[in-house]
Amino acid sequence: MLTRRQVLAAALPLALQTPLRAQQRPKIACVSTVFFKYSHTQHFVDRFLEGYGWNGTHHKPPMDLVSLYVNQVGESDLSADRGRRHPSMKIYPTIAEALTLGGSKLAVDGVLLIGEHGRYERNEKRQTKYPRYEFFQEIVKVFRSSGRTVPLFNDKHLSWNWEWAKQMYDTSREMGFPFMAGSSLPVTWRTPSVEMPLGSKIREALSVAYGGVDSYDFHALETIQCMVERRAGGESGVKWVKAYRGDNFWKAYDDGIWSHKLMNAALSRSHTLTPSREGFNNDFPTLEAMKRLVQRPVAYQYEHADGLKCTMLLMQGLVEDFNFAADIDGHSAPFSTQMYLPMPPGRTTLANFFSPLVNNIEKMFLTGKETYPLERTLLTTGLTAAGVESLYREEARYDTPHLAIKYKPTRDSHFWRT
Amino acid sequence: MNRRTFLSLAAAASVAGLLPTSALAAPGEPKRIAVVCTIWKYLSHAQHIGDRFLVGYPHAGVWRKPNMKIVSLYVDQRPEGDQSEARAKEFGFKVYPTIAETLRCGGDKLACDAVLVIGEHGEYPDNDLGQKLYPRYEFFKECVKVFEADGRSVPVYNDKNLSYSFEKAKEMVADSKRLSFPVLAGSSLPVTWRLPDIELPLGCEIEDALMVGVGGSDAMDYHALEAMQCMIERRKGGETGIKKVEMIEGDAVWKAGEKGRWSKDLLVSALSRSDSPLGLTVEDGRTQDLVGTGELYKLVKNPAAYFIEHNDGLKTTLLMVNGAVRDYLFSSRVKGMAGLQATQFFLSPTPNVTYSACLVNGIERMFETGVAPYPVERTLIVSGALEACLKAKKQGSALETPYLKVVYKAPAESSYCRA
Repeated sequence: MLTRRQVLAAALPLALQTPLRAQQRPKIACVSTVFFKYSHTQHFVDRFLEGYGWNGTHHKPPMDLVSLYVNQVGESDLSADRGRRHPSMKIYPTIAEALTLGGSKLAVDGVLLIGEHGRYERNEKRQTKYPRYEFFQEIVKVFRSSGRTVPLFNDKHLSWNWEWAKQMYDTSREMGFPFMAGSSLPVTWRTPSVEMPLGSKIREALSVAYGGVDSYDFHALETIQCMVERRAGGESGVKWVKAYRGDNFWKAYDDGIWSHKLMNAALSRSHTLTPSREGFNNDFPTLEAMKRLVQRPVAYQYEHADGLKCTMLLMQGLVEDFNFAADIDGHSAPFSTQMYLPMPPGRTTLANFFSPLVNNIEKMFLTGKETYPLERTLLTTGLTAAGVESLYREEARYDTPHLAIKYKPTRDSHFWRT
Repeated sequence: MNRRTFLSLAAAASVAGLLPTSALAAPGEPKRIAVVCTIWKYLSHAQHIGDRFLVGYPHAGVWRKPNMKIVSLYVDQRPEGDQSEARAKEFGFKVYPTIAETLRCGGDKLACDAVLVIGEHGEYPDNDLGQKLYPRYEFFKECVKVFEADGRSVPVYNDKNLSYSFEKAKEMVADSKRLSFPVLAGSSLPVTWRLPDIELPLGCEIEDALMVGVGGSDAMDYHALEAMQCMIERRKGGETGIKKVEMIEGDAVWKAGEKGRWSKDLLVSALSRSDSPLGLTVEDGRTQDLVGTGELYKLVKNPAAYFIEHNDGLKTTLLMVNGAVRDYLFSSRVKGMAGLQATQFFLSPTPNVTYSACLVNGIERMFETGVAPYPVERTLIVSGALEACLKAKKQGSALETPYLKVVYKAPAESSYCRA
């Protein structure tokens, strides 16, 4: 595996990227699966069109979202409404036209690829076949035919299919265009607002989260990865992944496969611990209560090349948030926090965890520089697929020589704290 | 005041014939807590604060079990859903019919190390200012009576404002000084998580400050005023007291904004920290600049503005904007700092209401050390400010408040949840 620097250096001769024309507002295209209230597309697009709260004021991105492609337009569609209210944004029937603004050459300065939500088939492993790879290929086709590339953001993991994800990564490096991906978890608020010290010697890490396989597992893996990538030596890649579910999850718990101390620390960061007894609003569940409350528990444990073991725990029914804990050399108490998502519609009306994500994207669109490494998302994409694979293979340990992904974190992780 | 000065003051007080504050529990033994409350039922303040001493609470990444036990309970009312007897039975304490018996655990001498006074929730009448007449003062005075009769006092936590009446609140604080026992009071707003985690620098020069709150009066406006106070008390010179207040409602609030009586920039800024704009966001999920688009004025049917002028000249405003958002938001302009300093006081979701765990940790610290982590004068001045604002509203004009000369310094250490 090449280091990031080598990759960038190797990519330089192929780079077709045109620097932004000075003093001009960048034009942005959005390529998406579906646009309804509280869909990811809505969260992203509205932040570009209407602005959002940032740094203590209502911030309007210094760029124009000028084109939109929506793959599935159903009854709950809002794209037409947004097109009417914001005539500067045109809706195009194809991805190519969205990028060329109906012409023959790439006519925008940045592209958002939002392939989340919408009705797409599931495969035999229960992975939803969101067409991110297909959209990416369409976008790259325009880049190639135009002899020019622009920065691209891909929402969530690169693809459900590891081979495709790797190809997306490789293509971006070969063509030399800035490419960011991933979810809000690494950049949202944290309670408490703490950063893993760069160069920490991490002995073990885990996350306690909720949701299901091939969806929130990715978020829970990102929760861990944005922290552990800051450890001494940086990221070294992952050797194997093993999943546990149902009774095997509890057996693994009993066997001490992951640290109970860290699990309890993560649970103690939750703001949504289901009360285990009627009449109590916030108690710590006994093991029996956890077994009763948690529906379909899932764990992915994996070992990094440098020996670090991490575990992702989906404890649907017990919590509804994303909590992290790690054991660090030199600290007797676990290092722990919650990656806080103000999640509508129950708790809030706005999914403001998209704000720091959009802000990082804006920075990439303006400067042409990724604010955090794409390799993080490549690894978490691979981890998600490997977890699914292990589950599919009846929870067998799944070796992941393909996840020998080495990278160094950025000094500032750009999580939301201003 | 640090622990050492407190202890020496307590010793001096004891020499001077005042009451010593002393622990009954031997060192290392669990401290004995008496709970005096209006009602104890699911999600009442007594339940979620009291239970944390029974089953523990999340703090700094562990499930913390205070080395304390509830030994006695007084409940003033037993509504449907009352849990007092069930809790007493399960956790091995007794419910007593009077406050004196509760503090003495049925004996003839004060038999606890600390008292929780939780006078929130329950059926009590309102006065002509619209304030609910919770009997906090009466509960507190019963405790003081026992302290005086038994020649010993213990730390007291008083939930929320000291009293609806400043006169009564002042007397409560005076009692604690006279008998030299520590009092902590107030709500969770000053101690909860902040989004973002910002603290105004101690000694900063605040040019302008604005708070946005929601909910009814006189419950929720208190929370909002207290949240603002914990920020502005850190200014240069500390708190100097309040000389004048005014409260207006309706269109006059917007007109006052047009005239520059409160800052629109600060309102935009505070609202930018909201996770819950209503109206069009509820309709279709969009983000909104409520002020810029004018939606704010359509959404808020009856805005209220609380204007507070401090003795050192600082003027602050609380805007209650029911219908526009659902959070508690603050913004300020501080001399020498770039941009506006704005944050949301994070009221974490029900039922956990983990913000009250932040509060309980402060209470536990005071019960353990005998030193309140932040001054009761904060709660005193806010109790007085609220009452004065409601009086000003009733009389329809500004009210001079020379009696609100509550002077204090903020603690250097932050006392909200950030670890």
